[in-house]
Amino acid sequence: MPSMATTTSPTTRRTATPAARGRQRHTIANPRKNGMLTFFTGLFAFYCLLPLIWLVINSTKSQTEFVTTFGLVPGERFALFENIAAVFTHDDGIFLRWLLNTLLYVVVGATVSTFLAALGGYALAKLEFTGKRVFLFVVLGSISVPGIALAIPQFLLFAQVGLTNTPWAVLIPSFLNPFGLYLMWVFAAQAVPTGLLEAAKIDGAGEFRTFVQIAMPMLAPATVTVLMFSFVAIWNNYFLPLIMLKDPAWYPLTIGINQWNKLATTAGNGELLQNLVITSSLLTILPLIGAFVMLQRYWQSGLTLGAVKG
Amino acid sequence: MRLSSKARLVPVALVTAAALVACTSTGGGGGSAGSDGDGGSAKLTVWSWDGTVELAVPGFEEANPGTTVDVVNVGSSSDLYQSLDNAIQAGTGVPDLVMFEYFAVPYFAIPGKLTDLTTLGAGDLEDDFLPAAWNNVKLGEGVYALPSDYGPAAMFWNSATFAQAGITEAPATWDDYYEAAKKIRALGPDHYIAQDTGDLFFLLSLIWQAGGRPFTVDGTSVKIDFSEPATKKAVEFWQKMLDEDLLNTKVTAWSDDWNRTLNDGSLATQNMGGWLTSTLPERAPDAAGDFRVALMPQWEAGQTVGAENGGSSFGIPEAAQNKQAAYDFLEYFTHGDGLQPRVDAGAFVPSAKVLDDAAFREVPNEYFGGQATGAVLAEASKAAAVGWQYPPFFEWARSIYGDLASPLYTSGQGSLAAVLETWKQRCIAYGNEQGFEVS
Amino acid sequence: MAALTHTGPVAGAPAPASTPRRMRTRRRQIGWAFVAPFGALFALVFIVPIVYAAYLSLFQERLVGGRVFAGLANYTKLAADPQFWDGFARVVRFTLVQVPVMLLLAMALALALDSMRLRGSKFLRIAIFLPYAVPAIVSTLMWGFMLGVRYGLFRNLNDWLGTSLDPFRPGATLVSIGVMVTWAFTGYNMLIFYAALRAVPHELYEAAAIDGANQWRVIRAIKLPALRGSLVVTIIFSIIGTFQIFNEPQILPSMVANSGITTYYTPNLYAYNLAFTGSQQGYAAALALVMAAMTIAIAYAVQIRGMKRALQD
Repeated sequence: MPSMATTTSPTTRRTATPAARGRQRHTIANPRKNGMLTFFTGLFAFYCLLPLIWLVINSTKSQTEFVTTFGLVPGERFALFENIAAVFTHDDGIFLRWLLNTLLYVVVGATVSTFLAALGGYALAKLEFTGKRVFLFVVLGSISVPGIALAIPQFLLFAQVGLTNTPWAVLIPSFLNPFGLYLMWVFAAQAVPTGLLEAAKIDGAGEFRTFVQIAMPMLAPATVTVLMFSFVAIWNNYFLPLIMLKDPAWYPLTIGINQWNKLATTAGNGELLQNLVITSSLLTILPLIGAFVMLQRYWQSGLTLGAVKG
Repeated sequence: MRLSSKARLVPVALVTAAALVACTSTGGGGGSAGSDGDGGSAKLTVWSWDGTVELAVPGFEEANPGTTVDVVNVGSSSDLYQSLDNAIQAGTGVPDLVMFEYFAVPYFAIPGKLTDLTTLGAGDLEDDFLPAAWNNVKLGEGVYALPSDYGPAAMFWNSATFAQAGITEAPATWDDYYEAAKKIRALGPDHYIAQDTGDLFFLLSLIWQAGGRPFTVDGTSVKIDFSEPATKKAVEFWQKMLDEDLLNTKVTAWSDDWNRTLNDGSLATQNMGGWLTSTLPERAPDAAGDFRVALMPQWEAGQTVGAENGGSSFGIPEAAQNKQAAYDFLEYFTHGDGLQPRVDAGAFVPSAKVLDDAAFREVPNEYFGGQATGAVLAEASKAAAVGWQYPPFFEWARSIYGDLASPLYTSGQGSLAAVLETWKQRCIAYGNEQGFEVS
Repeated sequence: MAALTHTGPVAGAPAPASTPRRMRTRRRQIGWAFVAPFGALFALVFIVPIVYAAYLSLFQERLVGGRVFAGLANYTKLAADPQFWDGFARVVRFTLVQVPVMLLLAMALALALDSMRLRGSKFLRIAIFLPYAVPAIVSTLMWGFMLGVRYGLFRNLNDWLGTSLDPFRPGATLVSIGVMVTWAFTGYNMLIFYAALRAVPHELYEAAAIDGANQWRVIRAIKLPALRGSLVVTIIFSIIGTFQIFNEPQILPSMVANSGITTYYTPNLYAYNLAFTGSQQGYAAALALVMAAMTIAIAYAVQIRGMKRALQD
């Protein structure tokens, strides 16, 4: 469910000012900490983390112990490393392949889609061309169309061109980020002063050069935001790759893990791989967490966007 | 600096893009088959979620140098059928061999999407397979798939739980079952003799065993009738079990909860296909040594009438590229030397040869307390009554059964008979819309 | 969409009138050049398939007889289909409750974080945002356990409280799904609001302090207005999202018995089942297109109202 980041011009931000001369002075910028507020917020944070705690605890259990012990209690044996090894060796190590596939889809997909969104958003905000309004309306309207409607037609289209069952079938649709376009448009309109662009052009710079050397740096906060959101979206992409890919060698992690899970719930000879599903899910989430933590500081500035387009 | 994070990504993107291009030119297009030929070099693609088929590959490749077989899991059941439909519609990526549950065979055979295997020599194999299984893959004069595994309806019962209730033998008739149900229920609030949350396959196998034949299929004409006395007998019995709170309606088969309830013994029996022997040990490890296999309880004492509960087969799509080579492999793992490695891994195959083999029958199964499960299941398979037919649109029909049955199981209002009647009406409407003549 | 700003340059400032015609035409062409990559991709990945889907919706598929032209029959069938309307009504009910709850929660959390009165706010921020990163299959597994009444947390809860609550009783299932969705997206929306709050210029707070305003007045007079714009947008996109709910009702039935989740529980799920188990692609396409149209209409209506109210101040 995409939601939006607000845009602004970089104005002054409140930051906690260090205590003056050792004495804790409570100012507007550094008010007294409120215990109750912390407690309630912390409660909600705990609620958010609880399922993840379950995930961690259960990835330390072997399959047998998973079935036989209560969910939030660790098993008798610490089987985490065993599970991790099993995840990487099961089925000739296909998990590693899935991991690399996902990295490919995410890195290429997020980069290209963000770049295209930036190009388009900048153009919408700062350049003229006929049909701007129609273009924007159609693109934004496309977000409301359920993926289900498009999945099979997209599949047939790609089959015509012979691209199904290849990584392109996953990448090309991921290059399209209408929501990213919207964000870049709003931010470009706000944060890039037209005057600066005019000045550059008077100096003789071409449009594209102006874009790259002047606008892009100013758009960096929004770019990082769009990049991050698109990173998560592509990482968790499930439905379209499911339809497009039939060769497990090209599956992303979501599909692979889901298949392992389905084996447990389908009648017949399916193997029970719940411990692998859980451990691999944990392994899948960790890179995302890492990325968040790393990009936190870009986010500080990236999401400091104030004025919003209604 | 803010820009550097983006700049850092650019070379990464370029490198990955380059790798991508390299990979696509070598890998890619896994679905379409290689060169054609029989006996020559061929690459077969097999879609299967049955893990034992792969075990037959090394032997086959050795006996047929130049042919490589690639067994791929593209999803189970409905996912696979949809993928096949997509591939056929698109005209590319159609595999050479596909796994079908028995009810799905008419679904693909009738619109002509499957090859008639009698043209490749399957007509001679009839006697080597269980009659009930063969019946599922033979439509009219043609044979559209070869049976690869089979689920004779069997009862898995937990002898330890039964012993707690003072019962030492498996119930032999449904009346015994009913009495046992009451005793087991009395053991505790969580104890039940069986679970049912709207299990269509079980209900149909019950009807099947009682002699009911609700579906009659003749070409594109389908008749549905739940009013036969045999059908009614089965339905009324199960209704009684529901009404008297003897069934656990909160645990759905194949869920994590189901595993746990089998594991701690609070679910005393499970009526299912015989293939459960392979997966039960993983799902209920604490119950090792407690479970036993037996024939489904009978309607009359002394009878041995069985039914079928699932099972699968493999067919060759009409649009496949390497039909002869595919048939060779198909015959190999369902009928020839490829059977043995599969059986050793626990597959239950409807091959007369295997089922009659003393070695197969007498292997004691440790999980089941040393019982020779092979023998029991072979008996159950032989006992499966013939004459059963699935309607060709069963794939759809089974998906909506849950919608109709669910209110009954949660609120207790209505009855199984009413649910079946509504289901029948919906099937009639759908079938007619789809071009069949259904009544 | 008009701009609503309290600072910064106005969007899309027109070129000065003195720009020669040639240069303006050239600029227009360059504008298209910038937008072309996105536009081309959009045409390929969206426009062509959707036209094809519209085309498909005029046909009906038969197991016997293949594809048959049916005109608008799919649409009339849809209008009279009780299952579709049941799903649609459900999704509307769900949206009316879940979206306000989630957004209010997100706002409250954003305000709490912004007040800077919390310890460990960096950690709290990440913790609350984390659920968004978890893929649906994983979170449904986790929630299946948490809400499990037999072997899950709810069993313990019931034992402790002496109750027999069942979060997947047919009447309660929608609420449970609401809990799952709120868990997943509150952090996301919170971050949006938080960003808007962070951009409020410091001078406003200083002025308020001089006026002697207390905490609550500051919130009412400065912070809430600052959130107005982002509120409109989060509402729109949350509505779009809830109208398309699919993952939870699709995965849950294999884990939980008789939760009341039917094959037509939400319109998206219904479309999926129609296309994938019933092979009725034309009908599914019609359904999806109608849902898209209704979603767009509702989103547009909300946006208009939101804009009007904002402009009134």
